[in-house]
Amino acid sequence: MSRRSFLRTSAVVTAGLAALAASLKPLMEMNDFPTAERFMQKYYKELTPADMAKVLKRIENEVEKQYGIRPHVRDLKPMDGVEFVYCLNLTRCIGCRKCVHACVAENNESRNPEIQYIRVLEMTDGSLDVYKARHNYNPEMVPEKGFFYMPVQCQQCENPPCVKVCPVHATWQETDGITVIDYDWCIGCRYCEAACPYWARRFNWTKPEIPKDRINPEMSYLGNRPRRQGVMEKCHFCIQRTRAGRYPACVEVCPAGARKFGNIRDPDSEVSYILKNKRVFIQLKEELGTSPRFFYYFDV
Amino acid sequence: MALSVAFVALAAAFAMNLVGHRVSLKPIPLVATNFLSTATVRQAYPDLVRAGADLSDFDCYACHEKGKPPTLRYDGNGTLIIPKEHSDIVMGHGRHGRNNNCFNCHNETDLTLLQTRDGRKVTFSNSQLLCGSCHGPTYEDWEAGAHGRTSGYWDRSLGPMDRKICVNCHNPHSPHFPGRKPAPGPHLLRPVSIASAEPESDN
Repeated sequence: MSRRSFLRTSAVVTAGLAALAASLKPLMEMNDFPTAERFMQKYYKELTPADMAKVLKRIENEVEKQYGIRPHVRDLKPMDGVEFVYCLNLTRCIGCRKCVHACVAENNESRNPEIQYIRVLEMTDGSLDVYKARHNYNPEMVPEKGFFYMPVQCQQCENPPCVKVCPVHATWQETDGITVIDYDWCIGCRYCEAACPYWARRFNWTKPEIPKDRINPEMSYLGNRPRRQGVMEKCHFCIQRTRAGRYPACVEVCPAGARKFGNIRDPDSEVSYILKNKRVFIQLKEELGTSPRFFYYFDV
Repeated sequence: MALSVAFVALAAAFAMNLVGHRVSLKPIPLVATNFLSTATVRQAYPDLVRAGADLSDFDCYACHEKGKPPTLRYDGNGTLIIPKEHSDIVMGHGRHGRNNNCFNCHNETDLTLLQTRDGRKVTFSNSQLLCGSCHGPTYEDWEAGAHGRTSGYWDRSLGPMDRKICVNCHNPHSPHFPGRKPAPGPHLLRPVSIASAEPESDN
């Protein structure tokens, strides 16, 4: 090896190593490096109850370390004979966006950058053109004359396109109709975000920022436990509430009573009554064949 | 040689963080807690009783005389003149101003009671029966849970369901559902002017 070629090679190697080190720098800044325990965790559906107890303990510890609050994390299973359906009364919705913020508070969504599962669309009376709808209306008083409001969130499709595209089965549909995400299995490829025709899925570009005093400590594994940077999340019908028999946060907070939720397999439930008796006009984009469990209806 | 120069330049760029700055996020104020409140628009009589609140507004015979039905006065246009003791009442029930008689709903001889048009007496704690005597279809919807607010448990085997009544949301004297200031909308990463965010109009 000549002196010249030695110098050249070593220069290239040094520069290459420097470049490699520099490009790996973001890893050093990663605040949430996976522990061996989390890294080795099995797939959700393969976890035994004993495994799950350990996992829940680990999550409680992680949340406490990161957010300074000891949460109560559960893994609630779907109930027998229950299939959830959501009905939203477009005649009653006044567009006040309280549901948006109740959802953020209940589900520990990031405050900055903002992650919100519900979008409220403002549209002109007599039209239903979601592509011309406005998100940013801010009048002194809603409802504004000449407009109506249509909140859109995860439609919990019977035939969900997001589940089909997931390359690692990190998202699936449960027997009660809720499409869930295992945040510990998600690789953050965002295919599901692209596949969803309702723009219902959100990606955590950064670690979610949640002030300590706004954390909701009542958490569930597939539900509202804080997500990591680099994973997807979306509306899960407040799994931590609804699988314990309670109404979702958006139903509780709606001042106009426009939001209705219940078990479609129970013939006496509110949602069964609505689907039987009301003018249920759409499943949003029903021509796509996704068959949402989210129905919009009108009075009269 | 050119390649190694390129590598060095790249390394320098990475090291000095020339590209790929951390996006600096503008602070977003936390939403005011009143937008998170699950309180109803109004408090109904049963709520006041439950809360042990001041019920003097319902103590009619503190001012009125028992056994002496109050007389109603009208102006030239047939509009009810509201006495100053009841100046907080806005008569806005019905669209044409024709529902202008207190005793369409209140019982004339016992002011602590309400009364349907066919003469059934209704107490303040059961006022939904009075509303339902005219608004039948809506009452049916309400009974089934399709109209009005419900909260608590959808699964009644696990806990109680709380059904709010008509006057939790509607002022009986002026029942149109009130508007309100909307909660803040989404904060955009790159703010666009409202004008360009407006959809183009069709005409």
